[in-house]
Amino acid sequence: MRLRTKARLAPVALVAAAALAACSTGGGTPDDAADGEVGGKITVWSWDGTIERAVDGFEDAHPGVEVDVVNAGSSFDQYQALDNAIQAGSGVPDLVMMEYFAIPYFAIPGKLADLTPFGADELEDDFVASAWNHVSVDDGVYALPSDFGPAVMFWNQDVFAQAGITQAPTTWDEYYEAAKAIRGLGPDHYIAQDSNDLFFLLSLIWQAGGRPFQVDGTTVSIDFTDAGTAKAVAFWQKMIDEDLVNTEIAAWSDDWNRALNDGSLASQNMGGWLTSTLPERAPDAAGAYRVAPMPQWEAGQQVGAENGGSAFGIPEAAGNKATAYAFLEYVTHGDGLDPRVEAGAFVPSTRVLESDEFRATENPYFGGQRTGEVLADVAATTATGWQYPPFFEWARSIYEDIASPLYSSGQGTLADVLETWKTRMVEYGNEQGFEVD
Amino acid sequence: MSATVRAPQVPPAAAEDLPAPRRRRRRGRQVGWAFVAPFGALFAVVFLVPIGYAAYLSLFQDRLVGGRTFAGLGNYAKLMGDELFWDGAGRVVLFTAVQVPVMLTLAMALALALDSRRLRGERTLRVSIFLPYAVPAIVATLMWGFMLGIRYGLVRDLNDWLGWSLNPFQPGTTLISIGVMVTWAFTGYNMLIFYSVLRAVPHELYEAAAIDGAGQWRVIQAIKLPAMRGALVVTVIFSIIGTFQIFNEPQILPSLVANSGITTHYTPNLYAYHLAFTGSQQGYAAALALVMAAFTIAIAYAVQIRGMKRALDQ
Repeated sequence: MRLRTKARLAPVALVAAAALAACSTGGGTPDDAADGEVGGKITVWSWDGTIERAVDGFEDAHPGVEVDVVNAGSSFDQYQALDNAIQAGSGVPDLVMMEYFAIPYFAIPGKLADLTPFGADELEDDFVASAWNHVSVDDGVYALPSDFGPAVMFWNQDVFAQAGITQAPTTWDEYYEAAKAIRGLGPDHYIAQDSNDLFFLLSLIWQAGGRPFQVDGTTVSIDFTDAGTAKAVAFWQKMIDEDLVNTEIAAWSDDWNRALNDGSLASQNMGGWLTSTLPERAPDAAGAYRVAPMPQWEAGQQVGAENGGSAFGIPEAAGNKATAYAFLEYVTHGDGLDPRVEAGAFVPSTRVLESDEFRATENPYFGGQRTGEVLADVAATTATGWQYPPFFEWARSIYEDIASPLYSSGQGTLADVLETWKTRMVEYGNEQGFEVD
Repeated sequence: MSATVRAPQVPPAAAEDLPAPRRRRRRGRQVGWAFVAPFGALFAVVFLVPIGYAAYLSLFQDRLVGGRTFAGLGNYAKLMGDELFWDGAGRVVLFTAVQVPVMLTLAMALALALDSRRLRGERTLRVSIFLPYAVPAIVATLMWGFMLGIRYGLVRDLNDWLGWSLNPFQPGTTLISIGVMVTWAFTGYNMLIFYSVLRAVPHELYEAAAIDGAGQWRVIQAIKLPAMRGALVVTVIFSIIGTFQIFNEPQILPSLVANSGITTHYTPNLYAYHLAFTGSQQGYAAALALVMAAFTIAIAYAVQIRGMKRALDQ
């Protein structure tokens, strides 16, 4: 998903708006807003095109309501616009899209409304647990999950077959053996690339049970030495040391597209959203790719992790919260989901994921495989308890600075990189008024 | 700049003795201000106000929790001890020290060659050397990125044919590659400045030199190079200002090539951008921008003083 790359390239959020936002009250207390009538006009900021599809249905169900969906930029650009609008006190949208990791950034300083008074807390069971985990901050619910990316493996079965492998590796040990076999196909052949892909590394840690970030209000603790993190880091270090991953190709680059196309990269461990863009990136490999769960740490286990995803929240300063919530519920939980799913959205709604229609659809690019079924099953097993620090956008932007020497010339280790990263985060976090250790 | 804004002063003694002309003069002064006003207003809005605002911002610290607090000169003190800033600043100084002389020597040589009237298709050459300047930096960076990329680019082919293992985008070589891109883009521009100066040299000088029996080299040494001295000062200043602000290339390259060694603090401008837009530290970024501006002005001014002194010595 190009959007997410943009998210990585572009930085999150400006501004000293924290001060102003913290004291801006919007229109009355949340309880008043929750009792408000549904009506009038709302403005929705979304870079997810499928939201637009649900507007007609909502307007039909609520005569007199007008929903204006605006693309105010993707990810960071939009967060910046939102911060500016909140600071200026005008032009604040009624409903706004944000990636999971950005929720604490807006929720902690009070820029997002708690949706509990609207009854959002009662919807918990209807969403995938790990997605719900992201929208609950400090006993409040600050957004409803809209899409997400269960970490799965996209593998090119033709290339694997050339290396004598007919089944997708189910454990990381098998993956390691497969990597060696594929490496033997030629000097350009690798099982995957990794040019300091933080989100992949985090999904690996996530799956291995590591929980390096613990956030409680403005207190953040960071620890990259727990058993799960150590296991994941050591494994990936071995892959790098033994030249089993290509460290020269940047994901999302033109190089990457070509390598996916010609099979010199045999697989990708990424968010499920790659299902929709892989056909454009690797048209020549049509029919060759299959989707499988990410390899497991123990044979027979089924533990999933997540790689990307986003939600919608209501700014505290929004003018029409009651209508905004009604629409929010409609597009993420109610009937509005159906046209979105039809348009290709991958939603963390258990109702959709368990529906026969979603699970049985065959995807021609993947050789007729029922990809929805694989993704839905992985989604159901996604491990919970993962948290992002509120300054994560900044943190991920400097990760590359620190990791680059390792990937370009083999200096240091991944564990060292993470320790240095932690030191910088502690320094920055404390400077920004958090308590970080 | 201030000289243009200031109106002519009336000597006070004269004004007291002669009331009538004084009134007229005062009216004249007001008219002068009126003429300057449009410029003055624009100058204030686009130049003074932003700088003033940046200076104001630089006195505050922005925090995600706790908002904006007054920090006095704290941002400046922090900057002086910020090794990430010095890393970037050192890099652009090194870059400038190497790239500017190379580029300007090349530009002068090309200008002399074009001015020699011994080339065929002079006009085509002139335009084609200048053309890269018209290519937007972003497009140019993408183009060079593909050309120098070792995965599928020209360098890849070279490596294959010749058995080399050249990598223009390693941490150690990226700066050189950026130097090549910048030189490519701006040599034509500087060449044009030198060339126009050479064209302005009176023809009589060449005739006189020919009568004195001077050869081409002698003409270059005695007439053309001294003629270009003033232009050299100008181009050096422009180039220093340009290279100190280098931003586009290191901003775009990381999305093309992996692990090129470009960090978020690779150049001071990139660092300021990152601080303001990712780190939410606008105050600190403003302090950095002002320090770099002061630094650039100081160096450009030093070059100018030195260049003028030489010109006066002549």
